[in-house]
Amino acid sequence: MLLPKFEYDEPRSIEEACETLRTFGETVKPLAGGTDLMVNMKKGVVRPSRVLSLKKLKTCNRIEKLDATIRIGACTLVAELIQNQVIADTLPALQAGAKALGSPLIRNLATIGGNICSARPAADLPPALLVYGARVVLHSQQGPRTVLLKDFFKGPGQTVLRGDELLTAIELDRPPANSGAGYLNLGIRKVQDIDIINGAAYLALNPRDGTIEKVRVALGAVAPTPIRASLAEQALQGQKPSQDLFVQAGQAAQQDCTPITDFRGGAAYRKAMTSVLVRRVLETALKQIEK
Amino acid sequence: MKRIIHIRVNEQEYELAVEPNLTLADLLRDELGLTGTKKGCEMGDCGSCTVILDGRNVNSCLILAIQANGSSVQTIEGLETEAGLHPLQQAFVEKGAIQCGFCSSGMILSGKTLLDSNPNPGEQEIREAISGNLCRCTGYQKIVEAVADAGSDYQKGQGGE
Ligand SMILES: Cc1cc2nc3c(=O)[nH]c(=O)nc-3n(C[C@H](O)[C@H](O)[C@H](O)COP(=O)(O)OP(=O)(O)OC[C@H]3O[C@@H](n4cnc5c(N)ncnc54)[C@H](O)[C@@H]3O)c2cc1C
Ligand code: FES
Ligand code: FES
Repeated sequence: MLLPKFEYDEPRSIEEACETLRTFGETVKPLAGGTDLMVNMKKGVVRPSRVLSLKKLKTCNRIEKLDATIRIGACTLVAELIQNQVIADTLPALQAGAKALGSPLIRNLATIGGNICSARPAADLPPALLVYGARVVLHSQQGPRTVLLKDFFKGPGQTVLRGDELLTAIELDRPPANSGAGYLNLGIRKVQDIDIINGAAYLALNPRDGTIEKVRVALGAVAPTPIRASLAEQALQGQKPSQDLFVQAGQAAQQDCTPITDFRGGAAYRKAMTSVLVRRVLETALKQIEK
Repeated sequence: MKRIIHIRVNEQEYELAVEPNLTLADLLRDELGLTGTKKGCEMGDCGSCTVILDGRNVNSCLILAIQANGSSVQTIEGLETEAGLHPLQQAFVEKGAIQCGFCSSGMILSGKTLLDSNPNPGEQEIREAISGNLCRCTGYQKIVEAVADAGSDYQKGQGGE
């Protein structure tokens, strides 16, 4: 399968990359792992006349543990999210999302930035990132701006990223001691599968009375973008965690989603499974606190 | 416009002029004649194009040759030495893990990446490690057994010498 012709750039700094984006506008496409872009270029869905490889942007493939935050470079490999000790210790739901993505071969190419920017409704990393309250750093020639991930997605393949901007990093607050989070996905096969639904939950408990002080629930493949399940969150806020409460939250989450019917699953099936998934992922998050 | 790249393939250095739209799979097969790397789907789904790039197993159909500039690549042709077949190749032959052979080079390279970091993997770890490599013939069981067998050879080799 031949790829159409294009020019190739390999900038060595974010500034140089932004300059190219500015100069060539919509005709240029950033290339990270290529597991999405190369496939789309082969299919002829995307036809850039210039490809901007992010491979040499050394500052973009680091995971940094700062005082109050964790900063993940946009070009960090999904495989690295699994192997990295900081992620394993502090962001287990993100690690679980990374483990669910593709196959070992794909994870050795795919990046976290590419997973976010491709903006697929069923992508494996956004739900965990959403429940950790992630922010994305977008860079243009004017400098960086920071956007909440929950405001980043606009529709399937659509984001607020401008043509002259690059996603350079993902920032997350370090979760407090009394918190836990989880990620679960439902697919037809165990690996290399587009999920029927997926979801993540984050719970932080009040240390004095054990009630839910902070909660975030996020779902994928049930709407045009990954979403926060606000009705489920409302049902949980301020309550004491229990099996019954998690069942109620699961039911509430059905009203948060607007799934479609496709060959992977019907809308009614997706809604029904949302309840189950939300209940289970809340249990996972709670278990994590107890650990 | 063609660009010059420097690439190390199976311990040999090459300087090559490539078009930006040439994939690494096509470079290996068409320019270097290393047809042990197969092309099945060309979309990242099947793993028959697996190579080891700077220590990681990857789908060479999804990588541009120009992106591999400065990198080191290992293909199935690089495994055999003067001493004979690599323990994994030998185990695949002995276990009957090869039928049509189309998946074998990818399976062996994914198996090798696993054994290099973990010479004593459990069955689940082996199945996980080859989960991006599809086989339409063997039903996987013999492949899993071959990787496990080669793992014990790795350990013997390390301990015995
Ligand atoms: C066989 C196969 C299985 C897969 N399975 C899964 C799966 O299970 N779960 C899942 O979520 N996904 C899956 N995917 C999709 C894909 O692998 C992931 O979304 C991956 O994370 C994309 O990352 P990438 O670095 O390869 O992106 P690329 O393909 O390099 O880029 C994707 C898009 O984002 C843009 N982009 C990339 N980085 C940046 C940046 N820093 N700034 C601005 N724009 C940028 C590119 O221009 C392009 O439009 C699969 C793909 C394949 C081929
Ligand atoms: S040919 Fe590369 S994955 Fe199938
Ligand atoms: S032996 Fe034929 S595809 Fe695996």
